[in-house]
Amino acid sequence: MRSSHIWHWRYAALASCALFLASLVAISFGPIHLPFFGAMKTLLGLPGGLHGQERTVLLDLRLPRILLAALVGAALSSSGAVYQSVFRNPLADPYLLGAASGAGLGATIALTLHPNTALTPLFAFIGGVVAVLASFFISGKFFAEPATLLLSGIAIGSFFTAIQTYVLQRHSASLRPVYSWILGELTVSNWEILRWSSFYIIIAIATLIVISKKLDGLMLSDEEAHSLGINPSRLRVIAIAAATLATATAVAAAGLIGFVGIVVPHLVRGLTRRVTNRSILTIAISGAAFLILADFGARTILSPAEVPIGIITAFIGAPFFLIVLRNRRVGG
Amino acid sequence: MIIAKDLSLIKDDRTILDSISFAIADGRWTCLVGPNGAGKTSLLRAILGNAPYEGSLAIDGIQRFGDQKINVAYVPQIPTIPQGMSVWEYVYLGRAKIDGWGRQSSKGQTIVEDILDQTNLVKLRKQHISRLSGGELQRALIARALAQEPEMILLDEPTSALDLHHQISVLDNIELLKTRGVTIISTMHDITLAAMYADDLVIMQDGQVLLTGASSEVIHSPELKRAFENRINVFTLDSGRPVVIAEKNQRT
Repeated sequence: MRSSHIWHWRYAALASCALFLASLVAISFGPIHLPFFGAMKTLLGLPGGLHGQERTVLLDLRLPRILLAALVGAALSSSGAVYQSVFRNPLADPYLLGAASGAGLGATIALTLHPNTALTPLFAFIGGVVAVLASFFISGKFFAEPATLLLSGIAIGSFFTAIQTYVLQRHSASLRPVYSWILGELTVSNWEILRWSSFYIIIAIATLIVISKKLDGLMLSDEEAHSLGINPSRLRVIAIAAATLATATAVAAAGLIGFVGIVVPHLVRGLTRRVTNRSILTIAISGAAFLILADFGARTILSPAEVPIGIITAFIGAPFFLIVLRNRRVGG
Repeated sequence: MIIAKDLSLIKDDRTILDSISFAIADGRWTCLVGPNGAGKTSLLRAILGNAPYEGSLAIDGIQRFGDQKINVAYVPQIPTIPQGMSVWEYVYLGRAKIDGWGRQSSKGQTIVEDILDQTNLVKLRKQHISRLSGGELQRALIARALAQEPEMILLDEPTSALDLHHQISVLDNIELLKTRGVTIISTMHDITLAAMYADDLVIMQDGQVLLTGASSEVIHSPELKRAFENRINVFTLDSGRPVVIAEKNQRT
């Protein structure tokens, strides 16, 4: 007899431990080393904490950056897991419906208007949402056929990328900032970005966790799901809307960080040998830990220079992914 | 009791069901028989409540479209296989409507264990659903439907693509449901097998219902022969079972 759902909480607790450890490492180490206990005391508001420059580095640079990495990692990995369920496709990623190319176009327009504009996240967010809405609108038959939505997402993505390339060609001066944004950047993180992005991402992830149990029904045909008490069309819309909100916000806040949405869900499913969507909480927490570690790598590998985090996620993610894929007993 | 009156189903400007009327009794096994394109699967979906229709299709006065109050299990002809899910997890999905999604109850666990035993799936419980053979998968689908403890079960061609041995095994498993008072509605190509197991037959062709009634009556009725353009012969075995054999085209 299988023990009820203890495994679910056990894995979530394990992932939380990983997240906690990753945060401790990331807080303490970096181009500027911060004394560990001093940093902890500062964070806990105890006497004997850091002062001066060290305090500023911790509270205004490192902490918001770690929190943003956690948020973005959680957003991308949980959205990826949900997209994979909704489209019944293990290779589906959060950028599938044009969120990435739409956000890319938005960011390109913003950076073309002004290289250091604070409007980049807003433009990226709008671009991402517009692209996904366009995919919905054009697919039309989406409610009956998820594959149609997927194809229209690919078409919209190509269309937006084409416009983006054209804009870039016309304004080659903005090539560098746009390119650096495309590779993902957490360097610009601050409390302001964290404030608005956490609002949307937490709402989106909470929604995904609430509906996660029912998402298993979308792994079946619509008729089977209906017979088990689910309205598959409505559930798909809620799932995609929440996943898109999380993705668009993550992209707006931190640029395009690839691979997280595919690697983390598969990694968690492979390690836990569970495919059910109850693991979305574990996937979100693991995604947060993963991106904190990736960002830690980005900050420290070529310190004091920074490596784009997108390169790190691919570097860490790809080999892990291949190992899990090779050894996995899940899937088939 | 399911009562259909002037039921029509139109998809992409094509008439799938053309103003049909019939009644299906509770607690019996009714089989929809007819060639491909007769509208059998569409009718099953309409009964499931997942396909919009014109006219009336009701169980005890409640229209089927969109209704999820009546616990109806559905076994598709070609199921969508969730990657990486074990047989146990797959069969347990059937409990979702009763226990709630993602929840497990001790009663549910006992029921699923019993069902795995009845359907000969105990040894395969940890096997991935995607790695089952055709016959095993069909048994797992029926096990999931049994776990649902449905009032009614709809089966779309449950024996297609199975050899005779597995066909009989699957049909015997479906009969398990009948002993529990579940209303069974299935589609089938093989009219002999349909008549052997089902209580009632609904003969369909081109979106129309040609003939309905008790299997023993329908199978021997002259209307059935006419429906098949007099190209079938019905024989009765010593056991009293009818066998329908198609006549080969005579070339002149």
